[in-house]
Amino acid sequence: MASPVVLSPRPNPPGAKVDPVAARSKALAILASSNKATRSPAVAPAASTPKDGDLDLAEQMNDDVRRQFVSGKRLGEGTYAIVYAGHYRHNPDALVAIKKIKFNAEFKDGIAMDAIREIKFLSELTHPNIIKLHAVFSTKDQNLSLVLEHLPLGDLEGLWKNRKLTYSGADIKAWANMLCQAIWFCHENYVLHRDIKGNNLLIAADGTVKLADFGLARSFADPGRPMTSNVITRFYRPPELLYGCYHYGGAVDMWSVGCVIAELAIRNFFLASETDIGQLATICDHFGTPTEENWPSVSTLRYYVAPSQQPGIQKGSTAAKMGKPASWWRGTFPLLGEDGVDLIRGMLAMDPKKRLTAKQALEHRYWTALPRPTKKEKLPKDAGGEAKAAEDLKRKGGETPANGRADKVARKLDFASMG
Amino acid sequence: MKLSEDDIYRTSTQFNHWSFTTQQLAAQRLKTNMQATERVKANVARQRAQRLQQAESDSLSSGVENGSGANTPLPDRSSDVKEVDCLTAEEELMIVDEFCERALALGAHCQFPTEVTASCVQFLRRFYLYNSPMTYHGQNISRTAMFLACKTENAHQSVETFATNFSKTTAEQILAPEYVIVQGLRFQFDVKHPFRGLKGGHLELVEMARGSYEGPNNIEDGMTSADLQARMLTLPRKAHEPSAKTSMQDMEKRLTSAYGFASHILKNAALLTDAYFLYTPSHIWLSSHLLADEPLTLFYLSIKLPSHSPLYIKLLSTLRSCAALLSSHRTFNAQRSPDVDAKHKARVKQLIEKLKSCRDPDKVDLVKLNQAQKRDAVEGEGGFDESKAKRRKVERETYQKESDNFWGPELPKA
Repeated sequence: MASPVVLSPRPNPPGAKVDPVAARSKALAILASSNKATRSPAVAPAASTPKDGDLDLAEQMNDDVRRQFVSGKRLGEGTYAIVYAGHYRHNPDALVAIKKIKFNAEFKDGIAMDAIREIKFLSELTHPNIIKLHAVFSTKDQNLSLVLEHLPLGDLEGLWKNRKLTYSGADIKAWANMLCQAIWFCHENYVLHRDIKGNNLLIAADGTVKLADFGLARSFADPGRPMTSNVITRFYRPPELLYGCYHYGGAVDMWSVGCVIAELAIRNFFLASETDIGQLATICDHFGTPTEENWPSVSTLRYYVAPSQQPGIQKGSTAAKMGKPASWWRGTFPLLGEDGVDLIRGMLAMDPKKRLTAKQALEHRYWTALPRPTKKEKLPKDAGGEAKAAEDLKRKGGETPANGRADKVARKLDFASMG
Repeated sequence: MKLSEDDIYRTSTQFNHWSFTTQQLAAQRLKTNMQATERVKANVARQRAQRLQQAESDSLSSGVENGSGANTPLPDRSSDVKEVDCLTAEEELMIVDEFCERALALGAHCQFPTEVTASCVQFLRRFYLYNSPMTYHGQNISRTAMFLACKTENAHQSVETFATNFSKTTAEQILAPEYVIVQGLRFQFDVKHPFRGLKGGHLELVEMARGSYEGPNNIEDGMTSADLQARMLTLPRKAHEPSAKTSMQDMEKRLTSAYGFASHILKNAALLTDAYFLYTPSHIWLSSHLLADEPLTLFYLSIKLPSHSPLYIKLLSTLRSCAALLSSHRTFNAQRSPDVDAKHKARVKQLIEKLKSCRDPDKVDLVKLNQAQKRDAVEGEGGFDESKAKRRKVERETYQKESDNFWGPELPKA
């Protein structure tokens, strides 16, 4: 628990030793050292000390924000951040998760891009299906802390992986709909998420799905300006990015959404491969290798190969020329029903121009056809998801858990050339 | 199911935290100025007292008579009594404006995309609402604000590469004030610019001129796109002139030139005034277009809104006041007399000179300050022992001396 000494708004008198109690844990110590007093001895000479409370207006505002929250037990630590349970000082029932971005010695360019992106976009996006950023504050050791919504029930990937849990097509419909609303809202705000996947979709205490991790997000580029194609965790990466496309829009996210819904339905990863080349092979085997006829100008993309040279999943094979038949889709996704299959096939159109937009997806008949989506309060819930949620929050954009099959998908953004 | 631009803007941090009335802006600047002034005076007085004390104790401990052997030269006693002459809020604003102009030049020099430079300038203006240039010098802050803007606008480059844009600037100097800046920006990195709005409006006008505009119109029911085009091609050339027939080619030329001028305003006057604090991006681009070509802009507005509606009247009056602000800026008139520029430059030079004598001595060397803060964070647990305190004291005095030289290249060397 937080020591009152540590979080006291009145810091120790200048020059005084820091209360040893404060050093009980590193986290607390770091909070403590953010107090003005511990900094003063370094800059303030012995002769006369500047009076306490002599903070910049910006420092005062920051401290005011920081004091609104009480940091509690540590929920998890990753390479990128440490996550603490916390709550509002004035109301211990108002829970939050405090994600403290670690100072990264490897990243020599100051505040990490992931943190900048996450803060930039979450500050602007307010929607019931997007994780809420309550506040941001910094501590004097120059760590940023993001005060995020408390989402204790794990994530969508955890749901389908939890074999003790059973769920129905109506439940999938409810989750999928919340996901579609989240991404629609992002796109309406001209924000590309670029890392949609099951474990970035967290679940609130009341069952609401919330899109999190905006560490790879960016706003839509001006037409003609290149963007990096090296985004989105591989299993969820659309074919145009695997082909090295520099110009794209919301369609890249929609492919990922289709993958996530498909995963919920089959309770397994849908399109999974260990390499980028293998990923493309997997996609082509499912959908047929694209040609100029069914995807105009696909052959102009950097890494495109003609159907005759496109390898399939099996070693030495050539990928299917044709996609899987309708019967395969129906047989593979019984939980989605006819309409649900039509929806995800629309989201998984190879040609991004033919792919459903978020708006079109929300207008799809799947949502209004029977069965009705399950009401939030009746959705099956994954107990003990708090640790899992912390795992999700502390990850850096694009990282995946080390125990999953996706542990080899680490990517690097090519910052030098484009964002 | 569509979010209007208005819905989006109203939830933005720009609207909720960085939009003000002129009175609010003035009050905030005054508050910042008063606080900084108080601090500068206190810190300078403390530093003087401390130097004096140091000099005295040095001469005592070394036992040399008359203090001739003291390492620290005795401070000029006459300056002890002289009160520091601090900048007024108005002078601070002029200095901030100057560093915003320099940031524009820097952005052009580095060939950064427009939105990087534009965000950098807004970061500076936002930062200096809550910080004084007496506390944080514009030169330090603007370099780092530009670096930050590169990150927030997807034009990130490594700090080493970035530092090569400046002579005699290290990566460390760039990074040192980064936290100070993000804190001053209240961790809000999104700046909504008017550039895309202008481009969109321009494209719509081109469609109208070509008779292919399909959007809604509020002029008359049942007007076809050809009717709109015909109407547009008889618009007066200038405000308060009679209507004049124009060919489609001439209209397209006219649109291009209006776009060019409006765009110039957006890249200069709009950034260098308080326009972003006082108006929305749509206000700003429409005002710029209004200044560039009034009849065209009014025609455009009448298509978007019924021209007798109270909203239209209200909007137009807001646009006119925004236009007045934009056109009041020095850069608005390309053919301004060299006199205006010369006078302005002289005044700025004088203020920058004045700033040298009223800087907060605690915040001169941000690199050392930053190091001290990070070090304290690590060592804070263990408390301080005598030797550390002593070492820091020495370090501090050294960097203060260094920085006196660093920021005063025009001053004679001591």
